[in-house]
Amino acid sequence: MAPPAKPITSPVSDAWYPTLAVFMLAIGLVLTASFFIYEATSSKRNRSLAKELTTGGVASVFLGFGTLFLLLSAGVYV
Amino acid sequence: MEAPIRATEFLRFTLLSLLFFVCRSSPSQDLLISNAERRIDLTSHIVKVYLTLKVENAGSTPTSEILLAFPPTQVDHLATVEALVTKGKRKKTTLARLDVKPTELPDAPNGTKYFTIYLSNPLNSGESTTLEVLYLFTHSLEPFPAEIGQSESQLVYYRDSALILSPYHIKQQTTFLKTPSTKVESFTSVEPTNRAGTEMKYGPYEDRPPYSFSPILIHFENNSPFPVVEELVREVEISHWGNLQVTEQYTLVHGGARHKGVFSRVDYQSRPNLNGVSSLRYLLARLPPRVHSVYYRDEIGNISSSHLRTDSRKSELEIEPRYPLFGGWKATFVIGYGLPLQDFLFESSDDRRYLNFTFGCPLLDTVVDKLTVKVVLPEGSKDPSAVVPFTVEQHLETKYSYLDVVGRTVVVMEKKNLVPVHNSPFQVYYTFKPIFMLAEPLMLASAFFLFFVACLAYLHIDLSIRK
Repeated sequence: MAPPAKPITSPVSDAWYPTLAVFMLAIGLVLTASFFIYEATSSKRNRSLAKELTTGGVASVFLGFGTLFLLLSAGVYV
Repeated sequence: MEAPIRATEFLRFTLLSLLFFVCRSSPSQDLLISNAERRIDLTSHIVKVYLTLKVENAGSTPTSEILLAFPPTQVDHLATVEALVTKGKRKKTTLARLDVKPTELPDAPNGTKYFTIYLSNPLNSGESTTLEVLYLFTHSLEPFPAEIGQSESQLVYYRDSALILSPYHIKQQTTFLKTPSTKVESFTSVEPTNRAGTEMKYGPYEDRPPYSFSPILIHFENNSPFPVVEELVREVEISHWGNLQVTEQYTLVHGGARHKGVFSRVDYQSRPNLNGVSSLRYLLARLPPRVHSVYYRDEIGNISSSHLRTDSRKSELEIEPRYPLFGGWKATFVIGYGLPLQDFLFESSDDRRYLNFTFGCPLLDTVVDKLTVKVVLPEGSKDPSAVVPFTVEQHLETKYSYLDVVGRTVVVMEKKNLVPVHNSPFQVYYTFKPIFMLAEPLMLASAFFLFFVACLAYLHIDLSIRK
């Protein structure tokens, strides 16, 4: 008999989906807040494009993953 | 010289004898059926025939092919044929694969159709073997009268032959028929015929020549509901994040005697044993274990008359249509459920993934006229191929679902005339690189990044007209 086939599961366990969604969205929203605070408090001369882009980039990655886990925990298996 | 002449003569002799054996390979004259017993089960609307054949090789050449004959009218309603051979002393049954081949024999009388059983070990001359054949007929019980009122019981005709149709000589044969109740209006009598309770016995008949046929007609009461699913579309969506979503769309019809006259709900509910005895009240669906999010709805909305009982080995969904189905009445509904991915998706030895799922309708004891199974593979899957234990029509489609850019490949398989026996597993193989799973969150992240870039652009661009 062939050895029992290996079942394929998700790379992240199901039970973690809601927890991961909450934490990633929280971090993403905190970074978004920091991005907008930087924009509001800095003057035109002190602004650094690199800092803005990195904050925006990291915030969008966390928000993206957070939305994915939010959709998965709600039952919309994308 | 002596030796070459002998060699050519020997060669000629072997060639001639080979030709002789090839010409004589038609098995009809070689095989002989010493005992045949046929049990026909008429209790439900699917006619089950169990045939036990004791085949003897009376010829001189070993054969490994045995022919089964069917009259042309019955072949259209034949859903499945299976053959088992009893081997050894401990009655270990092994399934001998049956080839569905309408063998066009040139001397087939009256358009008889054949099926060939291929034996795993050839039957030597003088040996005999016992074969158990099972075949199922759908739509073979004709309701007569064709239209009945609410308080009448359903009577049906069954047409068959008292003698088993076979291309071989049968030494002894008996046919038993089992009716669901003792009420039999009439039956053709072909001596010797006996009837006791719910069982009728035709036979034993001795020494009948090949292709002997004696038509019989039995008119009996069959109050089992005739659930026929006219069309069923099953969609299985695979998501690598851990879920298999199955959606099934049914078109159900009661295939028995058509209902005529009025439907009185008062009579139906007050005296259920007299009114609507053959109506379809509920259906049972057998689902895999660990099923979640089961829904049962139709175009109006959710249908609440259902019960789900789960177990560690199976789940049973009992559904009641919105109204009881009488003959000729239809109902359409959708059943959907989710399943954990690890029970059905596996990794094969050559680095491909495959889905192992059951082909067929989960409703018990129903006939499906046309079944379409669609397996939706995740985005980024390549080289799909399906392995199904019986013949189906396959083609590929594309479906656009959540977060899709290029679309998902769909493997579509179609089959006609299915019975619950067809609920066997099938596999769909495909290749998938796990890195493609990142495509979905990165798509979302890039959408959010676009928003941030738009904000930056708005804040940095100077749109004032005057300094």
